[in-house]
Amino acid sequence: MTPTGATPEMGGFETRGWLTRAVRKITRGVITDTPINPNEDISMNEQTPIAIDNGVNVEALLGARQAISQMPAAGQFTWRATCKWQTGVHSRSTVEGFFGLGEEQDRGASFTIDADHPAQFAAGNAGATPLEIALSALASCLTAGVASVAQNRGIQLNKATSRVEGDMDLAGVLGVDGGARNGFNDVRVEFDIDADATDAEIAALVAQSQKRSAVFDIITNPTNVSVSVA
Amino acid sequence: MTYATTVIIGAGQAGLAMSYELTALGIDHVILERGNIANSWRKDRWDSLRLLTPNWQTRMPGGAYTGPDANGFSHKDDFAMRLQSYADMHSLPVHTGIEVQSVTLGPFGYRVHTNTGHFDCRHVVVASGACARPAVPKLADCLPRNLPSFTTFDYKRPSDLPDGGVLVVGGSATGLQLARELQRSGRQVVLSVGEHVRVPRRYRGRDISWWLDTTGLMDRGYREVDDLARVRRTPSLQLAAGHETLDLNALQAEGVQVVGRLSAIRDRHALFSGALRNHCDLGDLKLGRLLDHFDNWAAKHGSERDLPRAQRPVPTQLPDAPRLTLDLSSGEVSSVLWATGYRTDHSFLNLPVFDRRGRLEHDGGIVTAAPGVYVMGLPFMRRRKSTFIDGVGADARDLAKDMTMQLSGAIAA
Repeated sequence: MTPTGATPEMGGFETRGWLTRAVRKITRGVITDTPINPNEDISMNEQTPIAIDNGVNVEALLGARQAISQMPAAGQFTWRATCKWQTGVHSRSTVEGFFGLGEEQDRGASFTIDADHPAQFAAGNAGATPLEIALSALASCLTAGVASVAQNRGIQLNKATSRVEGDMDLAGVLGVDGGARNGFNDVRVEFDIDADATDAEIAALVAQSQKRSAVFDIITNPTNVSVSVA
Repeated sequence: MTYATTVIIGAGQAGLAMSYELTALGIDHVILERGNIANSWRKDRWDSLRLLTPNWQTRMPGGAYTGPDANGFSHKDDFAMRLQSYADMHSLPVHTGIEVQSVTLGPFGYRVHTNTGHFDCRHVVVASGACARPAVPKLADCLPRNLPSFTTFDYKRPSDLPDGGVLVVGGSATGLQLARELQRSGRQVVLSVGEHVRVPRRYRGRDISWWLDTTGLMDRGYREVDDLARVRRTPSLQLAAGHETLDLNALQAEGVQVVGRLSAIRDRHALFSGALRNHCDLGDLKLGRLLDHFDNWAAKHGSERDLPRAQRPVPTQLPDAPRLTLDLSSGEVSSVLWATGYRTDHSFLNLPVFDRRGRLEHDGGIVTAAPGVYVMGLPFMRRRKSTFIDGVGADARDLAKDMTMQLSGAIAA
């Protein structure tokens, strides 16, 4: 009646490497003072036979889950980006470090994301619009969830593509119609998934990935946002 | 000072079942009850409530249903009277009108302090119920002050609410039952629904209770499930007494407006989650797996002939664009009813038995941090049916056995 629900709460970011190390660090008592049995490797989960490979390190995620349930403070993360105006409506965001597992984390790389508007908006077309980046973020988060849940449920994923669309009325942002909303009126995601699973199991993967998606949550539920000037 | 080997706190079905087992084992005990037998059934529930399980399944130890309507669903007051008769028939030592104020360590193990003095004992059985208080989310504080709101403990009948629309928050058994009752009273109901567990009342000619019982799901033990914490948090089945299915499709057919989970109240507006479609999909998928389980069981046990094939319930229907906001000052609703679940109240236990979230820690009802303290009636405590009337007998038997082992150990020592 209640089959195992995978919980990739942390879906959406690279799971190999640092997370495994960080979890081991926590479980060895660097951050927590919980005594650890050295013979017990909590990153191994006996109920998950891994005969398939979607490239997701589910053991690390499950280990993180257990570590964070023992040490809730380690689960408090802060994500950041810095954004610099270029010219016109072109800006460039950079992501580097983040805070989590009780300390500042260095991902050993930095990534940039350019946002602009197309020529139809009399803009320079140097990047996707922020709206498209938001849609991409949603699709990426859900896709990471699909892969993680599939891994945890022992389902080999062969292909997962999605098409995401958001409808908006430009009358909102242009101030033409005070009744029109600025943002999306409707967002649709259509997945095309090839996996070694039944249709019902694939539907369950997609439903579970929504249930545990951070970006799905921030799009479907209100969030307090404060904007200030330094 | 009064001594008893065991003090049971609460004379509902769980406390009485435990008393029955202890009586059978010859362990001297008392049951302390703040009100009368079955107090919560009598006082803390709404007027129309009937049991969600058919009468045949009301199997108290030494007290199976023998009346004429085995497939009927008893009104809560009738069930309360049956518990009273049960206590009388077995001469269970119930002391009514005694309110437990605290439980502390005592000279023989524990001391139970009450409004009329104290009891010393070796064992304490906490049987004060999983639904001792309504659970209301923090965001309830953000409601406009002039908008009346009710919990399921305040609410007894539709006329308790002002005329006009009502926002019912909660998509489990209580929320759905009260949404239907209020809609039928002539009020427009807006029902806010998050994750939920959808089941048909009947399937293939049998009641859902028969299926859950016969296929062994009710007896599934707490050590047999993968993620016990999650299973214990699972909301109650969407069910109502009677032979008809109560689900979101049925409610919408009666005019109830279904909206997503209430995620915030801001500027006098209720904001609902856009995840309603997924919450319904999750419920439909889980329902499908449950019915697959029943079908597989039927095929395996050769009961296909007795169990005529039935249509699967249609998926949950929703409007194309369920509303996301409700202006709470517009007059569209004139009250809010919180059907957001229940919680225990174990605050009287003055013992180091709580986790960091304040929940009583136990292993299948055995409070390991305080040897001799037991709890009963919690969700999936020892088995799926632990919160059901039908489940208290087996739990009481298990825990009473643990008690006798403790006592014989004490003698041997």
